Amino acid sequence: MGLENLKTTLLNSKNDKSLILKTPIIGASGTYGYVDEYESFIDLNCLGAISTKGITLEKRPGNSGDRIFEVQGGMINRIGLENVGIQTFLLEKLPKLKQKNIDFLLNIAGSTTEDYERLAAIANEYEIKALEVNVSCPNVKQGCLEFGLNPNALFELTKKIRKNYDGFLIVKLSPNTQDIKPLATAVEQAGADCISAINTLRGLGVDVNYVGNKFIKKTVQGGLSGSCIKPVALYMISQIKQVVKIPVIAMGGITKFQDLLEFLAVGADAFQIGTANFIDPGICTNLAQELSEFMTKNNFKDFNELKGAIQND
Amino acid sequence: MPSFFYEKTENKMKKDYTGTIKSIKNIALNTFEMKIESKLKNAHSGQFISILCPNKTLRRPFSISDFDEETKILTILFKLKGEGTQYLKNLNTGDKIKFLGPNGNRFSLENKNCLLVGAGIGIAPMLFLKKELNKEGINNYLISGFKENNEVIQGSDENIIGGSVLDNLEKLIKEKNIDLIYSCGPTIVLKKIAQLAKDLKIKSYVAMEKTMACSIGVCRGCVIRLHKDNGIVYGSVCQDGPVFKGSEVVWD
Repeated sequence: MGLENLKTTLLNSKNDKSLILKTPIIGASGTYGYVDEYESFIDLNCLGAISTKGITLEKRPGNSGDRIFEVQGGMINRIGLENVGIQTFLLEKLPKLKQKNIDFLLNIAGSTTEDYERLAAIANEYEIKALEVNVSCPNVKQGCLEFGLNPNALFELTKKIRKNYDGFLIVKLSPNTQDIKPLATAVEQAGADCISAINTLRGLGVDVNYVGNKFIKKTVQGGLSGSCIKPVALYMISQIKQVVKIPVIAMGGITKFQDLLEFLAVGADAFQIGTANFIDPGICTNLAQELSEFMTKNNFKDFNELKGAIQND
Repeated sequence: MPSFFYEKTENKMKKDYTGTIKSIKNIALNTFEMKIESKLKNAHSGQFISILCPNKTLRRPFSISDFDEETKILTILFKLKGEGTQYLKNLNTGDKIKFLGPNGNRFSLENKNCLLVGAGIGIAPMLFLKKELNKEGINNYLISGFKENNEVIQGSDENIIGGSVLDNLEKLIKEKNIDLIYSCGPTIVLKKIAQLAKDLKIKSYVAMEKTMACSIGVCRGCVIRLHKDNGIVYGSVCQDGPVFKGSEVVWD
């Protein structure tokens, strides 16, 4: 496909840990399943990586009731971390990913510190190259976001995960906070190699209809995603970049090529695409293609040069 | 009586297509029939396509109401509901649309005395199913219910207008010696049909509907609860369905 100029390396210069990506475009967790589902739509080898559905120690059934609500410019979801659990992932999904040579980030979530520690140890044992720690899911009752909103708790948690895991450690931050800077700092100081942000924003979808002299109401409370959250994501990335040196994978409302430039302008080192995959299953590869062509046309020899140019102009 | 059964997930290959509108017709009150030409090679009753509607985040799923194996033209029926259907309504012959499909499983065709029940726009997959059953020479009777005379969509053996399609269903089942019911319509109707089938100890298949995000079995957004091995599991309407046995659905 000729995307050679998109190859990029995320590097934590403090410890020299790095993650090499074929392209800086990564499919976001929860929108790509366990990856192989998208095979009939796109060439998965044209993706930088795919972040798996959030995996927990035990399998989780997810939330009951309505899980999806469409809003202007986006959607609200409350899936509730439905997943097969780490054991089934290792048994059934991992061999497929390895066999097909698909680069992925293992996205993990837990309710307790011990959950995260054990998942990290398992990822280490199986030599999984990159781990994305979800401490920002707004849709589960226990854990997860509780760690993600308290800098001290997040520091302790990240430190413990770091202790058990030697690969490339990414922590995914939540935007549902007063100030994201102390969280980013905590993650970096605890030894994470990279930050990804933002997870979904808390939102409430309300549907009211007046039928037969009666109001019929429906509400769906969950995480808001889609193009409507892009300004929040841009702001959060710019905030994070003020306080950390480790690379930042940006996400939140990316749906078109121009969005990539906007996130680069505020310091992004790579991108994740989430909700837009539902609109167009081919969007990740299409964006990679557009980015590559833009670089060729304008004589940027590699992605780093483009990044440097946008950030310094 | 011999019966044959198609595996639920026979058609796993899902594709992204650009289709051309061959015709769009107003067939009843706020109800439209759209014929789409594309490279889609096959489709079966129960399956659906999810159409991309500009400026909307979520694709809109529509049951396939016909697929012509020779011309490869597929038909959908839709009723005006919101912005998605409004967009479709305003399209003209020759316009292009983007869709994914055929998604989901299909109705299994079984050689029994089949009753097909379509409630409102739920008639769409029933028309296609009837065509498939006829082709296999399987006995079938399609009864459909509509609120008003001007809402009637043609193609059924019997139309119930005004009342409920459920009235007299039991009588009809006994008269016609029905031993299998297929249905599509509002969940409340499907629930009652599943209950009736259970009471009469006959089999039922229902095509369910739920707001979808990915429509291809990835996001787990459109799940319903199903009985499985003495427990309850979540099944996605877009991939594990939309067709389920009436007896396997947990009817809340």
